[in-house]
Amino acid sequence: MIRIIAALLLAAGQALAAEPPNPVPAEPHNPVPAEPHNSMPAVPPKPQPAPTEKIAASGIIGRKVLGPDAKEIGRVVDVLVDAGSNPRAAVIDFGGFLGVGSRRIAVNWSDLTFPPTGGDADIKLDLTAEQIEAAPAYTDQTKPASVVQPPPLTPRFTSTPASAGH
Amino acid sequence: MDSLPDAGTAEEAAQAGNRDPQGGARRSGVGLDWLNFFTANLQTAFGPFIAVYLTQQRWTQSDIGFALSVGYAATMISQVPAGALVDSMPRKTIAAGAAILAVIAGALLLALFPEMLPVLLAEISHAFASCMLSPAIAALSLAVAGQAAGERLGRNARFAGIGNGTAAGMMALVGSQLGARWVFLLGAALAVPGLFALRLIRPGVSPQAAGRAPPRERVGKLLRDRRLLWFASCCAAFHLSNAAMLPLAAASATEKLGNDATLVIGACIVGPQIIVALLSPGVGRAAERFGRRPVLVLGMLALPLRGLALAFNPSASLLVPIQLLDGISGAVFGVLVPLVAADITAGSGRFNLCMGLLGLAIGAAAACSTWAGGALADQSVHLAFLMLAGAGLVGVALAALMPETARGA
Repeated sequence: MIRIIAALLLAAGQALAAEPPNPVPAEPHNPVPAEPHNSMPAVPPKPQPAPTEKIAASGIIGRKVLGPDAKEIGRVVDVLVDAGSNPRAAVIDFGGFLGVGSRRIAVNWSDLTFPPTGGDADIKLDLTAEQIEAAPAYTDQTKPASVVQPPPLTPRFTSTPASAGH
Repeated sequence: MDSLPDAGTAEEAAQAGNRDPQGGARRSGVGLDWLNFFTANLQTAFGPFIAVYLTQQRWTQSDIGFALSVGYAATMISQVPAGALVDSMPRKTIAAGAAILAVIAGALLLALFPEMLPVLLAEISHAFASCMLSPAIAALSLAVAGQAAGERLGRNARFAGIGNGTAAGMMALVGSQLGARWVFLLGAALAVPGLFALRLIRPGVSPQAAGRAPPRERVGKLLRDRRLLWFASCCAAFHLSNAAMLPLAAASATEKLGNDATLVIGACIVGPQIIVALLSPGVGRAAERFGRRPVLVLGMLALPLRGLALAFNPSASLLVPIQLLDGISGAVFGVLVPLVAADITAGSGRFNLCMGLLGLAIGAAAACSTWAGGALADQSVHLAFLMLAGAGLVGVALAALMPETARGA
């Protein structure tokens, strides 16, 4: 939606040519794998567009999250960021039948493993089903969230297969 | 719209009647059965499932919340005007057909264009259309059934229950196997046979269509009717108690069982529909024989029982049997809402407006229920179920005190 509005604003600015068009918004907190921004040298009095670079990164809202056994756990619906602008936790929605009875928990950002390709592949989470079920529900975004902590190093955890990323 | 039957002119109905009066009534009955079956699913896909779908489409939570709020507001705003519009339309088959087409269009918009503007359009068109559709179907049923209204409305609820349960099962399967988008395509596809079922229905000559209608009574008279106030309060108490129970029970199942809860929740949704299908015809007959009030009291009693059972439920395995109680009250309200509305508005030409007013009371109470139930459950789920059971008990009292609306009772 934001992208559509931005595009409309951009188009309107170009059509009227009354004022310099907005530089393309960089969308810092939602880096999408670089859309080609119009680089065609257009009508004369146009200022240079802001420089862009292509980065291997992708959005995570709505992406699937898989558990250690490669079964689907749920989907990422939000990211919690602290005052230092560091991502601290991801909110994961799971369970339910046709949307009834689903549940949300916040999991530690460092427990998530992102696919190296940066594409649309599934995200992995180092938490067992028992740990997820025991986690408190994430309900109120105006309050500090209880985040599932990384499990202590028990033998089971260290032997968890394919929990790459650490 | 040309393909829709004329519910209309006196000559046509007379001809049809002369040819085969029994066959015509039977055809209309079969048409109503399948109309209820194929349109029941239209509510299923448009509920909480939209949030699942839009999340998969990379929508942010705030955008999803906004779209759902627009849909809810549109439903509340539409109830009364949609009812009044259906009242003013001489041919209820056209009202029902237009509503089905609008719902199909909404489902297709959602499936094909998951962007903000089309989704809002879909929500609004679905809201208005569904506010037209259920009163229109009930009005057609009353026109076809004549004196046997309870029997007919019982059959309606039976086929709607079967349709609901079947659609929920199919949609869950399609959603998990093919993706969320297909749920809406399936919903749209399932509604199409409803248009054909509609063509079978010959509601006879309505006094309006024949140009012999007495003028509709003033709206003020309906609004001041004490029976309406009593029954709307019953409906509100019912949904204040009922609406939050399933979501809270389902959430507690997910808490106990994780992703394995999906099947349990599915059984909690489909199971009661089977009970509705089994009980509804009997509810309709009982309401005709013993009056509306005793049936209403019995249906309402299932609510505090269910609330208490859920409050003290020790295990997830008992959840499904407890939820079956939902089928009892579901059958009672599915039959009695149109039946009592027909009692209250008999001969006044305000049936659909009355259904809209009841829908408004139901929608407001359901919203209060999910909001208050959710807020309470954050403190204590046990307490939330006790409060919901309490609201159900108030409903029982209201039902016991309300005046009987059946004629001649």
